[in-house]
Amino acid sequence: MKDLIRLKTERIFSICIYIFLLTIPFNLNAQTDWVRWEGKEISYELTPTHHHDYTLDKSSFGMTLFSVLRNTYYFFISDLDGDNCPFEPSCSAFFLQSIKETSIFKGTLMFSDRFTRDLNFFKGTDHYHLLASKKFSDPAYNYTLHSKKIKL
Amino acid sequence: MISKTQINKKILIAVFLIIIPLTSVNCQLTTDGNIFSLKNRLRFGNYLYKDQDYLRAADEFKEYLKSESNDTVVFRLANSYFQIGHYTEAADNFKGLFFGSQLSEEARLMFYESIFFQKDYKLFRSLTEENNFDSSLYNKDIERLKYISFFFDNTTLPDENTVLKSFPDTVQSKLLNFYQQKKFPKYKSITTSVILSTLIPGAGKIYTGEIGDGITSLIATGLTTYLAITNFKADHQFRGWLFSGLAAFFYAGNIYGSAASAQIYNARIQFNFDKEVRLFFEQRNYFLPKIDY
Repeated sequence: MKDLIRLKTERIFSICIYIFLLTIPFNLNAQTDWVRWEGKEISYELTPTHHHDYTLDKSSFGMTLFSVLRNTYYFFISDLDGDNCPFEPSCSAFFLQSIKETSIFKGTLMFSDRFTRDLNFFKGTDHYHLLASKKFSDPAYNYTLHSKKIKL
Repeated sequence: MISKTQINKKILIAVFLIIIPLTSVNCQLTTDGNIFSLKNRLRFGNYLYKDQDYLRAADEFKEYLKSESNDTVVFRLANSYFQIGHYTEAADNFKGLFFGSQLSEEARLMFYESIFFQKDYKLFRSLTEENNFDSSLYNKDIERLKYISFFFDNTTLPDENTVLKSFPDTVQSKLLNFYQQKKFPKYKSITTSVILSTLIPGAGKIYTGEIGDGITSLIATGLTTYLAITNFKADHQFRGWLFSGLAAFFYAGNIYGSAASAQIYNARIQFNFDKEVRLFFEQRNYFLPKIDY
């Protein structure tokens, strides 16, 4: 009789240990009281979601000049305004890419077209691929008027 | 007195002692003492080939063929290269079976397939027209493959009846549809798009199906032009010129964008057509017989 009681006690004890072990991860992740009521410093500063590439393109004098202009725009406007361009590459990066791919004249026309498309409120995935970053893929090489460069 | 568990333990040890030497002898017998012997390489290669592990199977076959000559193994090596997309190596190896082999006919067909899948369709057609490696058994399949190749590049299509007669009746209507699409693609004219956008900003984009972009272009150009005119009328010269510049910027961009839009539209038509045609033929294995040895 004593043995039976001992055996049953041991079994119950082992089940308790097992349950305890099971609850350890929950206990570790549980919110403790003092954390819940702790006062927190809230910052309303917008954290940048992306970082601009400030490297200068030194392939030609014109490209260097445009890189400086782009960096100025990044520093004084874009970085403060936030990552708002719905396209990838952003309009400023697109402008530089299009100038590099074509010429200053054609690049400006490409940028003008991109800027107009950016103004369109109803742009969607029927014309652009949606990237993992939730931006529309719209590379400059698709607009150079060279059909072989187009990648869909 | 020996207990029952002790007897069981002794039996287990005895069985264990018998099995171990037996399995080692068995291993010895199966490996012939040399795991990398030619026979084993071939057996392992065949096993990998059956398991569709073509990359490793090719290695085993290559090692085997360094010392032995066997047409089936050469065929399997070539087919392994074919399966993993190494079409140049596949074609070279199939070529080795053209003469004096029982697999000559199959090798010829597979050779043409390898050239076809290299996507150099002009070379493929020139080879089929030269008739140097003609296959009496698979001539029709090779000819059919030649007509399929016309759908994949920009060469002018041969006569409709010539193309269609090589294919079974069940797919005639679908192929006729592809033929019409290839010959008369529903492209949008870049010139029309540009002219429309020159006359009415955004019209070219609407013509290519980019309605939202077209309307935006019209509003952007129209609004800046209106602002330029009103400012000039109110004698605000600076603002007048500023908005004139912006209007010109949007107007020029709209014309350029219309041309680009028409070109992208056409590229999309071509892309979708290529995708559909490729899928159609892939699903039917390009109307080729399945050859495997």
